[in-house]
Amino acid sequence: MSVLLDRTNRVLIQGATGQMGTFFIEDARKYGTNVVAGVSPGRAGSMVGGDVPVFGSVRAACEETGADTAIVFVQPAAVLAATIEAIEAGCRLVVATADELPVADTIEIRAAARANGAAFVGPNSPGLISPGKAKLGFMPSFCYREGNVGVISRSGSLSYEGAKRLTMAGIGQSTAIGIGGDPVKGTTAAEALALFHQDPETSAVLYLGEIGGSEELFVAEYASRTDAKPIAALIVGKTAPPGKKMGHAAALIGSKAEGHQAKVAMLREAGVQVANGLGEVVSATRAALASRTRAAAVA
Amino acid sequence: MMMLEHEGKRLLAGVGVPVPQGTVIEASAAPDTAGAGISAFPVAVKAQVRSGGRGKQGGVRQVRTAGELADTVRNLLQTSFGGETPDAVLIEPWLSIERECYLCVAVDGRAGGYVVMYAPRGGVDIEEGPPPARYPVGAPWNFRAHELRKILKDVEPDYQWREKVIALAQRLVRVASMHDCSTIEINPLAKLADGSLIAADAKVVRDEWAHFRNQEIHALREAEKGRVGKLLRDCLDMGHMYVRLDGDIGLMSGGAGMTMAAMDMIAEQGGRPACFLDVSPGPTSAHGYRPALAMLDADPQVTVILFSVFGGGTQMQRVANSVKELMAGRNSSKPVVFRLDGTNVDQVPGIFAQFGAHNHARLEDAVSEAVRLAGNPA
Repeated sequence: MSVLLDRTNRVLIQGATGQMGTFFIEDARKYGTNVVAGVSPGRAGSMVGGDVPVFGSVRAACEETGADTAIVFVQPAAVLAATIEAIEAGCRLVVATADELPVADTIEIRAAARANGAAFVGPNSPGLISPGKAKLGFMPSFCYREGNVGVISRSGSLSYEGAKRLTMAGIGQSTAIGIGGDPVKGTTAAEALALFHQDPETSAVLYLGEIGGSEELFVAEYASRTDAKPIAALIVGKTAPPGKKMGHAAALIGSKAEGHQAKVAMLREAGVQVANGLGEVVSATRAALASRTRAAAVA
Repeated sequence: MMMLEHEGKRLLAGVGVPVPQGTVIEASAAPDTAGAGISAFPVAVKAQVRSGGRGKQGGVRQVRTAGELADTVRNLLQTSFGGETPDAVLIEPWLSIERECYLCVAVDGRAGGYVVMYAPRGGVDIEEGPPPARYPVGAPWNFRAHELRKILKDVEPDYQWREKVIALAQRLVRVASMHDCSTIEINPLAKLADGSLIAADAKVVRDEWAHFRNQEIHALREAEKGRVGKLLRDCLDMGHMYVRLDGDIGLMSGGAGMTMAAMDMIAEQGGRPACFLDVSPGPTSAHGYRPALAMLDADPQVTVILFSVFGGGTQMQRVANSVKELMAGRNSSKPVVFRLDGTNVDQVPGIFAQFGAHNHARLEDAVSEAVRLAGNPA
């Protein structure tokens, strides 16, 4: 199985006629994503990607096509309006990959999603993919294969690299969620873990984190539960100096607890298999999967 | 982006937060303390710098006479605080403070929005004391005075003061949201002899991504670019992110997480990264990458360049073609080690063969070659 996304999601694309939207439609459909509509105000009645109808509003697209999932490819200044439109039109999953989104807008989108019972993934994220089923984002498809490891990542490119290493080692993934590099997230690590916890076909989770912020605190909190699924993790930024923003707004060591050493120690304390660098991502994930097998054998 | 104290206080004064009546003397103009019209003493003369710990480094001085003022201003404008020479000094009446508290409104991931933090004892040693009380607000319209009151009851026994703090916190949450501030920290929040409240200091951080709707933030961004050299400014204009480090391997990479992972791997293999340089937010054309390569070529500290991109939406054949164009027009002999992976990577070797470059399939191999070329032990 997978979380949030599978073949049943009926996907609409906001900003469908732009360069990114057009590229995504072709790539995502090739992968099996069920793209049913485009939304582009002023372009209603036209087609994108050959045969995907374009509507002037999300509501019209949902009513005509049964779309229930939205992915947004518009300028940062327009993301707030586009995502709120999708959430209020009843979409159950809304994905915004855009970076450079003002955090005040993310806060508003997150609140709207929660109030409407929708899941919001992003911003500053590659989106999500349920290998072998569907993708909602730009991740290179060949890096993934279907399987039972859930992946949660604060960084796009790091999640491609991490997933590719798993795939080449024969370890498939249930769903890979890019929670994004911003301090406020549509879906947090804790919320993503709660989804994987409920998914019977996710046996273990690989968490790809960074220095800065408090996300890892909740990963450790989950891992400490007696019924937790086993977790493997990589925390990058061992060599990052304190007080400097390392690209992502949230990747800044403001206090000791936000540093690499403290996070790794906290995660290990909680029983997480922490990799020493990219080279150990596969072995740490294998160790997590093996610990689950042992737990199952005892039970 | 951090605002200077006087800029932050101007913002706060504009929304009705009491701040001392200050006079700013810029370093750029010939500092004219006589013309500033300061007649009441003592005054506080405060260096305007963005780095923290100013108070502990002597950046705030008490001045009692007009004669002393000119010397102090000149002296502060020539002093470096955490590597930063002040752009200006702020002169304010010396406050007779009865109590110093701490109040901060900040964006917080755990709160899913804003958090209010309050400590009954503020000042320069705030970090050594017990952690401030936290009220996770979330979305700004979720602020409830009674919720904060419940939290502050055990922390702040003076109910009249407590009510003033609550009213101020409510206003600051609104201000943070409306004016795109990721942090508004008032430390100390001072209680004066008459019981009134005043923001004796202010640290305001603005969200740079709101530049499209906020003229002040746009200006701060431009000013920040103006403070760096031309080579780096060209990179920042492309949207690149740069942090200087102290090694010799010039890392030019895609994505914040992968850039840090590559930095860590360089260190693991015994090398030292010269920088964190994330080029992924910029265009993938030769034009887009040129400033970054030019900066690393010109940097005497950099002896070898590691170019590493793992792209999803970024298509690798485009990156490879840009690299080809870039290398043809380059006149530096510093070695460049490549590792491209991601969408359409199968087209890369063919393009690289046209100009005799090699693409490493694995990051480990690219890093090890870069470390070897930099002359570090593997």
